[in-house]
Amino acid sequence: MVALETPRLNPIIEVRHLHKQFGAQVVFEDLNLDVYEGEVLGIVGQSGGGKSVLLRCLNGLERYSAGKISFFGQDTAQMSGKDLRHVEARSGLLFQDGALFSALTVLQNIQVPMREHISLPKNIMDELAYLKLALVGLPANAAHKYPSELSGGMRKRAGLARALALDPKIVFLDEPTAGLDPIGANEFDMLIRDLQRTLGLTVFMVTHDLDSIFAICDRVAVLADKRIVRTGTPSELTKDPGHPWIKSYFCGERGRRAQGTAQTTS
Amino acid sequence: MASYDQTEDQQTGYSLFGSKGGVSSRPALEWSEGGDGYSLRIFGDWQVRHVRRIANEIKKLKCGTADAGPKDLIVDMAGLSGLDTAGAMLILDMNELLKSKGFAPKIINAREADQILFELISRHPRERDDVDVKSSMLLNLVRDLGETVLSIGRDIIEITAMIGQVTLSLLGLVIRPWRLRFTSLVHHLEHAGLKAVSIISLICFLIGAVIMQQSVEQLRAYSAEYFSIDMLGILALREVGVLLTSIMIAGRSGAAFTAEIGSMKMREEVDAMRALGIDPVETLIVPRVLALVIALPLLTFIGNIMCLAGGAFIAYQVMNIDLQSFIERLNDGVDIRHFYVGLIKTPFVALIIGIVGTLEGMRVQGSAESLGTHVRASVVKSIFLVIILDAAFAMALTAMGI
Repeated sequence: MVALETPRLNPIIEVRHLHKQFGAQVVFEDLNLDVYEGEVLGIVGQSGGGKSVLLRCLNGLERYSAGKISFFGQDTAQMSGKDLRHVEARSGLLFQDGALFSALTVLQNIQVPMREHISLPKNIMDELAYLKLALVGLPANAAHKYPSELSGGMRKRAGLARALALDPKIVFLDEPTAGLDPIGANEFDMLIRDLQRTLGLTVFMVTHDLDSIFAICDRVAVLADKRIVRTGTPSELTKDPGHPWIKSYFCGERGRRAQGTAQTTS
Repeated sequence: MASYDQTEDQQTGYSLFGSKGGVSSRPALEWSEGGDGYSLRIFGDWQVRHVRRIANEIKKLKCGTADAGPKDLIVDMAGLSGLDTAGAMLILDMNELLKSKGFAPKIINAREADQILFELISRHPRERDDVDVKSSMLLNLVRDLGETVLSIGRDIIEITAMIGQVTLSLLGLVIRPWRLRFTSLVHHLEHAGLKAVSIISLICFLIGAVIMQQSVEQLRAYSAEYFSIDMLGILALREVGVLLTSIMIAGRSGAAFTAEIGSMKMREEVDAMRALGIDPVETLIVPRVLALVIALPLLTFIGNIMCLAGGAFIAYQVMNIDLQSFIERLNDGVDIRHFYVGLIKTPFVALIIGIVGTLEGMRVQGSAESLGTHVRASVVKSIFLVIILDAAFAMALTAMGI
């Protein structure tokens, strides 16, 4: 089941002719991509193909050699410090292993963006943090645990809660369901879909999870051959792959199984 | 090219970063009591960045308590220009507050997206797990004191145990020399030993010069400047060379060992070794300790020479004593036993720094804070133990007349 059909509107993010290399190794060149408001965009590609690097470039964590990235029509390279902080406060990022601050408890971790960007009364901050905790499916007793005391799946959920702390407009997720049990992964899918519908959340999701892709992605962009070779809805890509890698990805055994599941549950 | 202040979110109808027109709408509540009942109108952006104002508005709400039975209350959301989970949570909290005051709130004019949001929030039971952090300062002081004493006891036991384990491994190496991790040993010899030569030389040279200069100054009053050479020789060879080298190596290599092994522990590399049947003591700890035991006496020797060289330099500058005479005076005035006394301490010092450093590394837990704490403890403990060892040797050897 695909999420609500959203009419394609202004792109939140426009990437043009992006070029990135580490030493002599070119990760991607002439990469073009648009991310539209309110959509859930899945990014798929080979392991080591540059998906995480792309995610990091979009968030300003990696410098790129050439090209332009625009947020809301403004070139990020030209933005003032104040505008950049404005954008940062409005976007959330989930790292692959959660990247929680190891010296803070889970609750304090979730409250970090709140403390950093706005000032809230303590009791409301606690209440809000507990709410986010519950939304991502963590039990209340996880609140005072330290990241080293959590399992991998719980760390990821805590990282997601922190990324969603300020109800960002766009959230970047790096393999959010990797390591989650099927129940947890499904709850995650449902949460993202609900937030998309209620808050108009835009989601940029690097993923390998075919079930997530068929369940909630409006569009999928395929990173292969050092650029985005195709974008389209998951069903479009399945019916008409147009590229050998896409074909084996979506039409291979796992792909067909995932599609079958998605169809029977929708 | 729209600026994000004015971009509209088609999904919810609210604008992306604020109200339509680029001006943020202040959250406000309007209470009215009419003939046909009570009503509460909500205005503005009820979003996380306005939470403080929202909380104030709710606090300022003068609604009184309904006297008889739950009074119907219409909560009108038509004037709302922005809503997120924080705002929705506060609206639901406000409704609970009104219910406790005897009203029966009913929300009207909520958009579909808002309703889904309310449902999303209500679906999750909002339990809390608050921890009470009340304790008296005196109690904490006593508790800290107790914990410190206990941890010193633990340290003594664990260091002794580790010395035992390392000794066992070394004895094992005597019987089975092929089990020595030779590459690792050479690597640590290079980093802990060779790469420290320049810094040790420099600091020993400078301190040698300083000691010489001060001795000359003080002995001048007794016309005994010439004996400053004796004093420098004995001090440098017996104490200063060893101490300076050990403190520098404790800071340099001791901290490095703790940080290396600590990070490996944090990343579960040590567990992976154990799972593969590799003994971490043999692989990580023995090469490091052995490298220090080999390197430290050599470094101390170099340190001693440089200390004397610093003194010779000052002797030339201040007393016009050339190198030949300086060396002659050293030979006459300073017995060779002082050199041996200094050097005999070095293997023990190496053992202390190596074992404390690696032991603290193995104790690191999962957080960055833990790593910092243990690196700090490693340097402080090793320097402290080295100085205690030095004092013990000094007393013992002096008592023996050496």
